[in-house]
Amino acid sequence: MLSKPKIIWIDGVSCYGCSHSFYNYPEIKTLLQKIKLLYHPLFPTNEFKIQKCDLLVIEGAIKENFLRMDFDLIDLITQMIKLSKKVLLIGTCAVYGGIFGEGVLFNKNKKGIFFPFKDKIIAVPGCPPHPEWIAYAIEMLIENKKMLLDNEFRPKEIFSYTSHMGCIRNEYFEWKIDAKNFGEKEGCLFYEQGCQGPFTHSSCNKILWNEVNSKPRAGTPCFGCTERNFPKKNLFMTEKFMGIPAEIPIGVSKRAYLTISGVAKSLRNERLERKLIDEDN
Amino acid sequence: MKITKKIITKIEGEATLKLHKNQNIIEFAEIEFWQYRGIEDFLKNRHYNDASVINPRVCGICGHSHLIATAEVIENALKIKITKKAKILREITVGLEIIQNHIKWFYLTLFPSIKDIDYFKALEFSRDIAKIIALIAGQFPHNSYAIAGGITSDLTNLEIIKIKNFLLKMFERYQEIMNIEGYSKDLEILFEDIPKNIGKSLNKFLVLGNNLFFRANGEIKFVNEEKTSSFNKNALYNDKFYEVGPLARNLKNPLINKIYEEHKDSVYTRIFARLYEVNLIFEYLIKEIDKIDINEKNFIKPRNKNGKGKISIEAPRGSLIHEIEIENEKIKKYNIIVPTQFNLANGNKQNLSPAQAALINEDEKYADFIFKCFDICAICVSH
Repeated sequence: MLSKPKIIWIDGVSCYGCSHSFYNYPEIKTLLQKIKLLYHPLFPTNEFKIQKCDLLVIEGAIKENFLRMDFDLIDLITQMIKLSKKVLLIGTCAVYGGIFGEGVLFNKNKKGIFFPFKDKIIAVPGCPPHPEWIAYAIEMLIENKKMLLDNEFRPKEIFSYTSHMGCIRNEYFEWKIDAKNFGEKEGCLFYEQGCQGPFTHSSCNKILWNEVNSKPRAGTPCFGCTERNFPKKNLFMTEKFMGIPAEIPIGVSKRAYLTISGVAKSLRNERLERKLIDEDN
Repeated sequence: MKITKKIITKIEGEATLKLHKNQNIIEFAEIEFWQYRGIEDFLKNRHYNDASVINPRVCGICGHSHLIATAEVIENALKIKITKKAKILREITVGLEIIQNHIKWFYLTLFPSIKDIDYFKALEFSRDIAKIIALIAGQFPHNSYAIAGGITSDLTNLEIIKIKNFLLKMFERYQEIMNIEGYSKDLEILFEDIPKNIGKSLNKFLVLGNNLFFRANGEIKFVNEEKTSSFNKNALYNDKFYEVGPLARNLKNPLINKIYEEHKDSVYTRIFARLYEVNLIFEYLIKEIDKIDINEKNFIKPRNKNGKGKISIEAPRGSLIHEIEIENEKIKKYNIIVPTQFNLANGNKQNLSPAQAALINEDEKYADFIFKCFDICAICVSH
C-alpha cells in the first residue's frame, strides 16, 4: 500500500477564517483519513518542523519582518515552498494579499514574490474560501488529477461561475428592479447596495454556504471576496457612471448592457414591482 | 532562578511565554505577542459600513462578535435605535458564535493538550451551530448581515420555525457534552490526571457587556490601555487587572457559584463555567426566538453623519470593546480592545494580570494547560 500523502498547513498574516471555514466541511474526517497532516496551526498535530512534504497549504498573507513560530515569515515560506512538491494557497490573503499584506502569488494587481514558483501553485481565493473548494483542491492535488486553471491559477471548476449564478434575486436583476433598502426580500442589490455578484468568480450561490444560504440570499451584497482587489472601498454602495453601475457583468459590452437594461425597464414586470408577500393581492 | 522561553501555539495564533522558575515552580511569567496586523489603520477614511466587512476579519473564530460590536458602536455614535426583531436575531447569532467557540476550544485546543479525544464529534456540533447562524446571516464564518441600522436579511416564519427546531435539537444534543445538572463525562475524563484546584488567579471579575443575559458590573469609561514590551497592549480597569469571560459573567448562576465556592477561580471552575454557559445560552435563545415579531422592520436607514461612540459586548472570551469616531460618514478613528488583552496582559510583579497570577506558584508542567484555560485568542490581540 502506498503511504498517505504528507501535508503541512502553515499560516502567514491571517485571521484563521480559512481554517474555521474548512472545519465546517461535512466530510472532514473522511478527507483527513486519506492524508498525513504533519502540521496545522490550530488542529491537533505534532509540532512544526521544516521538512519535505507532498503538499504545502498556505493560509494568510505575507509581510516583511513578521514572526511566525520564531521564523521570519518570508524565510519560512521560501524554505517550505522549496521542500514541497505542490503548493495550495488558501484564501484571498495568501493569493492576492487581501486585507493584511501581500499575497504569495500576487500582490494585488502585480506579480508576487513567489510568482516564479507558479508551476507548482494552485490558488483558491475567497475570504474565506468555501470549505468544499478547499476539500476539492486537496483531493485533486493528492490524487494527481488534472485541474483546468484560469489565468490567475484558480481551478475553473470553481471559478468559472460567478456568484450571481444561483442568486435568488436573479429575477429582479433581469427586470432591473433595484432593492429600495437593506433588510427587504425584494430587489437586486447590484444597482444601489454594491453587490459585485455579476463580476465575481465564485460558485458560492451554486453550492451555498453551510449548505443553506449565501450572503445575497441574506440580503447582503457580494463583496467580491475572491478577487484580487478585495476589499474595495464603499462595499455597501454601487459606484455609478452616468447612472449605470461602473462595473457591469463579465462578458457584456457597456452598450449591450445599456440596451438590455433600457428594454427590461421599459417593459416592466408588475409582479416584481409589488411586495413579494402582499396583504392585498 | 532559571528563565525558559516557550512559544505556545494552537491558541488562534501564538504567544511567547517566559517562565521564571525556582526548580519546577513558576515564580513569574512574561506573556508576549509578536504579531501585528493593523486593522484599525486599515479602516481609516473608509465609509463606516465598510467596517461591517473588515472587522469580522479580525478573527475567524469570534469575528461575528466583532461584527455585532461594529454595528453597535456605529449605532451608538450616530444615535440609531434598531428594531426589537433585529436585536433578537443579532443576539441569536452572537450567542451561537459563543457556543461554537466553546465547543472548539474544549475539544480542539484544551483537551488534546492533555490527552487524545475524538474531536470530530465537536466539529460536527460546531458545524451544525454554524448552519443556524448561516440561516440568519448568510454564512459562517465572515458574514456582514449586521449593519448600522439593523440587519440585511428578511426572514419568513419558515426560517424562524427551522431555527427554533434546530436550537431545540442542538440543546438536546449538548446534554451529552454537559447536561443541565452540570455533569460532563468528558470534563471528568480530562481531570483524571490533573488537579482541579490549580491556576487560581486574582479573584477579581469584570463584565462590561449587556448582551444576552449578561449584566455589566463596570463601566467602559474606566478602561485604559497601556503599552508593553511586545505588540500586546494591556487592558486595565481603573489601572488594575481583572478577569473577564464566562466565569466572570456567570458567577451569579447558582450552579457555577457552587463550583466556585468549592474550587475558587481555579482551572476547573473556569472550564466548568465555559462549558455550562452553553446550556444557559441555549435556554435563553430558545425563549428569545418566540419574541420575534416577523412584521417588524429589519433595517432603518441612519440619518446622522457624525458622532463618537464606545460600546462593549460580551464575546466568547469576555468583554469586547469597540470605539469609533465618524466624520461625514467616514471613519476617522477606530479602536478595538479584546478580552485577551485583559486576561493575558503582561503586568509586572506588583500588578499581575489574571493569567500571570494563575501561573505563579504552580508547577511548570501545568503551565500550558493553565494558560490555555483562559481560552486565548492571539489573533484578536494582534488586530
